[in-house]
Amino acid sequence: MRAGHIDRVKRRALRQAVTENLETIRGLPPRGVRPNVRLGRLWLRRVSLIIVPLTLAGSTFLLSKPVVEPMFVVQRAIPHKAGTPPTQMQLMQYEKVDPAVLPLSVRRVVIDAGHGGTDPGTALPTLSEKAVTLDIATRLRKLLLQSGFEVISTRENDQQIPLRERAHIANASASDIFVSIHVNSIVDHTNEHGVETYYLGPTRDAKLTKLAAEENRESGYSLADMRKLLDGIYADARRDESQRLANTVQSQLYGGLRNADPGLQNWGVKRAPFLVLVATEMPAILAEVGCMSNEKEVAMLHKPEYRDRIARALFDGIRAYALEKR
Amino acid sequence: MADSEVLHVGIDLGTSRSAISASNGERFVVDSFVGWPVDMVAKKVLKRNVMIGHEAVANRTMLDLHRPLERGLLKEGSDKDVEAVRELLRHLLRLVGVDGNASNVRAVVGVPAAALRTNKQYLRNTMKGIVDSLMIVSEPFAVAYGLDALLHTLIIDIGAGTTDFCVMKGRYPTEEDQRTLTIAGDSIDGHLLKLINERYPQANVTLFMARDWKEKHSFVNTPPDKVVVTAPVNGVPTQFDITNEMRAACETLLPPTVETMLDLLSRVEPEFQERVRSNIILSGGGGLIRGLPEALQDALKQVGGGKVTYMQDPVFVGSDGGLALALDAPDTDWEKLSA
Repeated sequence: MRAGHIDRVKRRALRQAVTENLETIRGLPPRGVRPNVRLGRLWLRRVSLIIVPLTLAGSTFLLSKPVVEPMFVVQRAIPHKAGTPPTQMQLMQYEKVDPAVLPLSVRRVVIDAGHGGTDPGTALPTLSEKAVTLDIATRLRKLLLQSGFEVISTRENDQQIPLRERAHIANASASDIFVSIHVNSIVDHTNEHGVETYYLGPTRDAKLTKLAAEENRESGYSLADMRKLLDGIYADARRDESQRLANTVQSQLYGGLRNADPGLQNWGVKRAPFLVLVATEMPAILAEVGCMSNEKEVAMLHKPEYRDRIARALFDGIRAYALEKR
Repeated sequence: MADSEVLHVGIDLGTSRSAISASNGERFVVDSFVGWPVDMVAKKVLKRNVMIGHEAVANRTMLDLHRPLERGLLKEGSDKDVEAVRELLRHLLRLVGVDGNASNVRAVVGVPAAALRTNKQYLRNTMKGIVDSLMIVSEPFAVAYGLDALLHTLIIDIGAGTTDFCVMKGRYPTEEDQRTLTIAGDSIDGHLLKLINERYPQANVTLFMARDWKEKHSFVNTPPDKVVVTAPVNGVPTQFDITNEMRAACETLLPPTVETMLDLLSRVEPEFQERVRSNIILSGGGGLIRGLPEALQDALKQVGGGKVTYMQDPVFVGSDGGLALALDAPDTDWEKLSA
């Protein structure tokens, strides 16, 4: 390579390094995420043009007559000719929109087996989180397919898929829900074990922030970057749906496993900023289906029948949520 | 150092060792350990308020010993670790002639390829008051810059805490160009210690001893010699053959390194893949593992072959690259990068 060319390449790389440092000083997110933020904000601005008039019209309508039906229910939509905008009178016929009517059904499910490849997750001498999550995901996939769901898997073997790519797979498939499977490890409390389910949201719990940072480590985003992303997303109606899905799955998960494991604790549904939940565009949850820091639980996770029970509990949760959406 | 002089430094802040190269020609490397005397007795014996590097490791029984970096990044959440890394940085700067005055010191610090912006912010906050201006770059980028290897090159930097990979494409690397594994020197030490304890439960071996032996005898594939070490058994120095344990521990590095290397190579534009395969540079202390370049070259045969070159000066290759960056950055840029 000619010296002049080397100099040009070095100058360009140095300039980019300085720019990257200046962006870090200013607290800007990495370049890859900024267009999404802009699009998100643009989308929110556009949506407000529709939602605000609808809400105002609905409020006016409600104030003009006594409320006899529960709020947040769509009573009826007045049809109008395709291609023509609804008239003011037609808009006045609408009451407040229940977000629950938006996801009309659940047909396609993304199953995300946590970790993989060179990222083992929690690794014990005889068991790794990546193997457990893949096994449960495979079993869950089979159950869902048998019941007529379409299933998209982010990984079907032991390979490392970056979090961004997992979200990309989910978004590109236009799936209805996203279920990420993980196994907890709480080294400070090895006597305890339980199940918990997360959906996207802010948390003030330092432990959950740390857990999210650990799970997001391979993502390329920092928590500071994500907070900027989250500004636009926490207000999303998708969060309500994710919470419903998390409640349903957690209930089935705990209910389905406590018979096999009477010591199992119900750690409930929680919010945390896991990147894989931030970047997916459908209701999304992350289920911690066990606890590898507990010896008893590890012994159970070794058993195929227990992993099958976990898969079945997840399946029951997904199916129950899907039935609610019909 | 006179007040009017500007000193440029490149710092490789490593989990195990930290190196500094300065524009006044000075270069030093220290073990990344900082310790404070545990009590008044220890302070009286040691006659020091703080000990750093090899000295700290040697006197560790009398010290509250801290290794403030983990996987190449500052440990968060502990004030003592923050203070430890500040002591370490001050010590490095003192070694190259900075007398405690932060002004006129411009530093480039290398961090693991996968470091997040929040990690970099944390480092920046920690270095406030220690240097005047600061630029933080990906460690393999610093290596590539120092070697003029910014185009069609794959850098594999095997440190103590992380193994960093970076394909250089003639630009500052993006996240798609880089990978970081946490399987590195430290994980080999832990594995080696475990294997030795399993085979020789009677031997009294510490992690420090295992690390020392690895640094002297590490290898993959065929052993150059038998690895025989001495450790006490009930206080009696006894010899042990740990050849198989050493090989097994070192070879834990191979599968993930090969997989990541081939994965990154497969993502290079097809017309440049052969050039990148022929320009693989192994740096960092892990590169000293005997037989490793050959083992990686063997793995490359399945994709058409390639060449792995090992840096002869692995200790300073990162800090020298940082210094080159520091010297090349114009004053106008440094003014914007105040710490």
